[in-house]
Amino acid sequence: MTQNLRRNLANQCNALKSTGPKSVSGKRASSQNSRKHGLNVAPDFESSREYRTLVDLIAEEGFSGFACADIATGLLNYRRVMDAYYDTYTSPEPVDEFLRDVNVKASIPIFRELLSPSGSEPQDVTEMASFFADMQRQERRKGGPVSRRSSDTHKLIRYQRNGIARLSRAVRQG
Amino acid sequence: MLYNDHFGIYVDVAMPVEDKSKSLLPFLSSPKLLPNESDAEFQSGLQSLLSELDNPSPLAVALVSQLNECLWWIRRHTVDKELLLHEAMARLLSKAGSNWMGSGNSKLSVALEHYLDGSADKYQAGLVEEALVEANLTLSDLRVRAFKDAARHIKMVDDLIHRQHQTIRHLQRSIDSIDYKSRLIKRMDLELAALESKQPVKGALTLDAKSS
Repeated sequence: MTQNLRRNLANQCNALKSTGPKSVSGKRASSQNSRKHGLNVAPDFESSREYRTLVDLIAEEGFSGFACADIATGLLNYRRVMDAYYDTYTSPEPVDEFLRDVNVKASIPIFRELLSPSGSEPQDVTEMASFFADMQRQERRKGGPVSRRSSDTHKLIRYQRNGIARLSRAVRQG
Repeated sequence: MLYNDHFGIYVDVAMPVEDKSKSLLPFLSSPKLLPNESDAEFQSGLQSLLSELDNPSPLAVALVSQLNECLWWIRRHTVDKELLLHEAMARLLSKAGSNWMGSGNSKLSVALEHYLDGSADKYQAGLVEEALVEANLTLSDLRVRAFKDAARHIKMVDDLIHRQHQTIRHLQRSIDSIDYKSRLIKRMDLELAALESKQPVKGALTLDAKSS
């Protein structure tokens, strides 16, 4: 008991040291994970009508009660992952064509004009131009629509792997 | 009858595979298709996979449906690999020619797309050829550079394809397990029936008596 407590505390301390994103941009990106696909939320399949029907139908194939429940959950979970996979693939983050294609150097006079009412210093204009250049670099790094949908879908690989492993195990052990 | 490109055979799409009242598929969300994809082709792929199984159970049908979806994802991702190259080619061209920045990358991207599949009009062909001359590149040079440029994303798509292959392997093993189980039950039933038919009633009673 004491050993378990000590191990738990050690795990918690280590988790505080090592897990999760460290940079501000990493934290910002990971904070949007569950909003994008919702696969980190624990599902409640057992209370659905589909689940009960699936359990009944699978039971007719000679599987035990536990196996039926596992297989039905596995199937519904796998479908949930594949639906999210499709949604992620079909709705990638849109490309900001203006930001990607704008010539930042040529836009410096416009920045100067925009900042002139507030009595800007030349340094402010340079800072604004470098801010835009940084944003443009980030936008270009993400690539076009195909690159974006590929990298977005790539994030779901682990969910698909876990989903199919769970389903396959349930069927083979049933 | 429909021709299935994937398997190179004609398939009867109306072929009854299982008792609909016992199907699991109505209770699972069905695989969605992209707007330019044919539902009939998807269904014919499913039917041809099912036709390879001998009297599949509802669970096997549900798993085969997932397997068919994986095959479609492999097909989609394979097309994406080529599209990624086209995207990178357009990006490199627009980077090489400063005057393209004003006209936008997407315009050149569309022109290049049509140029590569041979459906470009005169204006689009001119646009691409002018950009190639300005960048001092041939189409094959551009393709090689684009491959290098898009390597990171191509690797991601390769990972996605690999994942679908692994998923297919899992599904295949599950289907085999169901098939083996049903065969085993059938075989035991047959053996039992054979034993019952061979043994006279008196012998059966003797066996019962011995076991008790």
